[in-house]
Amino acid sequence: MKNDNPISPHIQVYNWHISSLVSISHRITGVLNYALLILVCFWVISLLLGEKNYEYFKIFSNSFIGKFFIIGFIWSYIFQILSEIRHWFWDMGYGFELKTTKITGTIVILGSFILTIILYIAKGILI
Amino acid sequence: MVQISLPKNSKVQKGKYFKDKTGSKNIRKVNIYRWDPSTGENPRIDTYEVDMDNCPSKVLDILNKIKNEIDPTIAYRRSCAHGVCGSCAMNMDGKNGLACTKSHAEIKGEINIYPLPHLKVLKDLIGDLSTLYKQYDSIKPWLKNSKNLGDAENLQSKEDRAKLDGLYECIMCACCSTSCPSYWWNGDKYLGPAVLLQAYRWIIDSRDEDRKERLKKVADELKLYRCHTIMNCTNACPKGLNPAKAIASIKKMLATS
Repeated sequence: MKNDNPISPHIQVYNWHISSLVSISHRITGVLNYALLILVCFWVISLLLGEKNYEYFKIFSNSFIGKFFIIGFIWSYIFQILSEIRHWFWDMGYGFELKTTKITGTIVILGSFILTIILYIAKGILI
Repeated sequence: MVQISLPKNSKVQKGKYFKDKTGSKNIRKVNIYRWDPSTGENPRIDTYEVDMDNCPSKVLDILNKIKNEIDPTIAYRRSCAHGVCGSCAMNMDGKNGLACTKSHAEIKGEINIYPLPHLKVLKDLIGDLSTLYKQYDSIKPWLKNSKNLGDAENLQSKEDRAKLDGLYECIMCACCSTSCPSYWWNGDKYLGPAVLLQAYRWIIDSRDEDRKERLKKVADELKLYRCHTIMNCTNACPKGLNPAKAIASIKKMLATS
């Protein structure tokens, strides 16, 4: 029998929690990282092709869009790594208490931004 | 399959407005999801002005007040009113819970009440849980033991009994399963937190002789591993249980056995 009854609202009405936010961001950054690896490939290719070609990459990386990509890239990877560490602990059976997940989730979100800023500043000092 | 937006027949429309007739100064607006199977119309949100001076403390009290004094056509499940039976599970203020234990003072602003998310609606706040019950049936939720003990008790050590704490309290209200995005998108195949917690309750029971078989049955890409530790289940559980942890324990047992 075909059931034509309506489906009750779900994502439209459900509140976001820190843990669900980190979870969906983990997915999105996972896909992003995959795509952003192409950027790394271009970087390596430009290195292989020599100094002149590397200049092109440098122009790109110093442009507004280039900087946006690189900072986004750093953030996306840091987020993924921190969140993955959280998953490791879960896989070992630790950190399931509501309070703990809230704290670790907040650490992942805040930590990803703080580490991105630190890393970007460090890059400026090192290079 | 992931479908973010609601299908055409499920889009929610603006409904009727029930103005307060008591002249009370302490009024709260309550928005309730309504759907009448006899009309063929889309679901709607009806708004009720409720006199809070003469209303007890829980969300269920508001619903009872509306049904008794304002609009008797509203349909919802309820029975014990003490958080034991699990009938009045619904989505209040964007979070699943039991209407009989949820205090309306905790909710700021207008009170929004929906049925449990992503279920086929039967009427108003009543969702169809038959898929979940079928899944519950599939894990064989009873003790499998071949010992013939006659009239004697089937004994268990204190430690083994303690393993069931945090599991046996589950009342199958479905707050957790219907809060889970994985269950929304794959509810036909993924067992969901409520059923998996129950599965674990029998897997971990020292008196049960079917552990291996139970684990084998649940070890499935879709049945079990659609859990991505989103933690909505644990956030929603009105009994303070931790389905996410129970699911992780099953995964761990499978990984280490």
